[in-house]
Amino acid sequence: MIKLRGVSLVYPNGTRALDDVDLEIEKGSFVFLVGHSGTGKSSLLKLLYREEFPSAGEVTVDGIRVDTLRRGRVPKLRRNIGVVFQDFKLLSHKTVWENVAFALQVTGTRTRDVMRMVPRSLDLVGLSHKSRMFPSELSGGEQQRTAIARALVGNPKLLLCDEPTGNLDPSNTTEIMELLQRINLKGTTVLVATHNQAVVDRMRRRVVRLEHGKILHDDERGYYFRGLGQTAVLPG
Amino acid sequence: MDWGKLRFFLGEVFANFTRNAGMQFTAIGTVAVTIVLLGSFLFVRETIQTFGTGVLSQIEIAVYLKDGVTDAKAKDLASTLAADPRVAKATYVSKAAGIKRMQDVLGKDFDTSLLTTNPLPNAYHVRVKDADEVPAVARAIARDPRVAKTDYAADTVQKLLKTAAVLGRAGIALIALLSISAAIVIANTIRLTVFARRREIAIMQLVGATNMYIRLPFIAEGMLAGVLGASVAIGVLALAQAQVVPKLAQTLAFVSFQVNELTLCLELLAVGAAVGIIASWLSVGRYLRT
Repeated sequence: MIKLRGVSLVYPNGTRALDDVDLEIEKGSFVFLVGHSGTGKSSLLKLLYREEFPSAGEVTVDGIRVDTLRRGRVPKLRRNIGVVFQDFKLLSHKTVWENVAFALQVTGTRTRDVMRMVPRSLDLVGLSHKSRMFPSELSGGEQQRTAIARALVGNPKLLLCDEPTGNLDPSNTTEIMELLQRINLKGTTVLVATHNQAVVDRMRRRVVRLEHGKILHDDERGYYFRGLGQTAVLPG
Repeated sequence: MDWGKLRFFLGEVFANFTRNAGMQFTAIGTVAVTIVLLGSFLFVRETIQTFGTGVLSQIEIAVYLKDGVTDAKAKDLASTLAADPRVAKATYVSKAAGIKRMQDVLGKDFDTSLLTTNPLPNAYHVRVKDADEVPAVARAIARDPRVAKTDYAADTVQKLLKTAAVLGRAGIALIALLSISAAIVIANTIRLTVFARRREIAIMQLVGATNMYIRLPFIAEGMLAGVLGASVAIGVLALAQAQVVPKLAQTLAFVSFQVNELTLCLELLAVGAAVGIIASWLSVGRYLRT
């Protein structure tokens, strides 16, 4: 699904966000991308939906070379990738339903399909009963679920989450992570960038750790800190 | 036709338009002021042109014949004059007819009782199709041996022609300047609305909306502002015309104030719409080029 080969990203101000990264992520997998803030997690995600260009190397998503993709082709790429952020990025003057439908409407989806796809997506995140509410009337967890519904409404193959639980309390965090797991079980590849140790250690999924723009370690069923998983959950 | 799509699109345009009502008001006002100026200018220009063409079409070359030329020979000249393709009409005015005409024009003030002989020569009044040709035709006629002298309002013709040409060019320049200033104001307004909606644009780009699709509502918005501004301006101009033109017509009775109002209105609306479209296209384009 995702293949990075020798990818570097240097910002115009000279900051080296990524340094010769090689990474491969299979279709249908669930992967955590961990590391302190500023270690290049967001930058890596941005390369995947072509918000950023790599300074060197190749970026392939679902068989498409993203780094050499023509500008006009970017919208089509993005319709196949759902993205969720820490700050939800919902439109405050639109209801839950309208926020989710927006993603379809602005990509020219037929009204008939919008009417069919929006309820399905709201049902998946468990917000059907709140579809007429505005974001300000929802809890943080519900807002993030709305954002996830919007990201998924077009049936993307890949879901990218940039600190999806960064603004949420522990119980909402658990709720969101369970939802992401359900989504993954339905076949969507999920890539979550986070620095929430508890979440990572509880889930026991593949963990890719970035440090100073390089991959420090990459473990199947890993912990936030390599080898420290057990101590992290032990009391004291 | 997918009415749901259309409703969504129009809903977006309307919602954004009303949400930025204050800014739109400024833009509409500026367009209105610009177009009022443009409209008055076009009105004045068209009036002058109509007046000028009217005057030019009435310019006659007076062809005075030599005294010795008999009536029969003078009549002969008519066919020579008519043979010239540039000549529209040649009227023969004999000595007697000339006196009568003068009496008609001057009325009682013209006292013929003091005259012992008729001092007027036999003459032709020649009307030329194209005012530009007047000097050339006059020179050609003057070469005829039967003609004593030709006379026409040479200076006036030349000046009028020159004025018309200058006005035409100045008009184009002025229209361009005014349109550019209106476009700049609309562009700034749209830029502000684009800025106010950067979140929405970011989301649109994120979920894979094409640039064209993102642009379209803004362009519709700009067009709406332009057309509304032009409509306001047309209203103001119509009011002004109703107030001012009757008074002008009284004082300047010889000028006709007939302007093709429908064409003028359509022109102004088109200018408003075009200015709005171009302005918003440019200001959104700059934002999308990330």
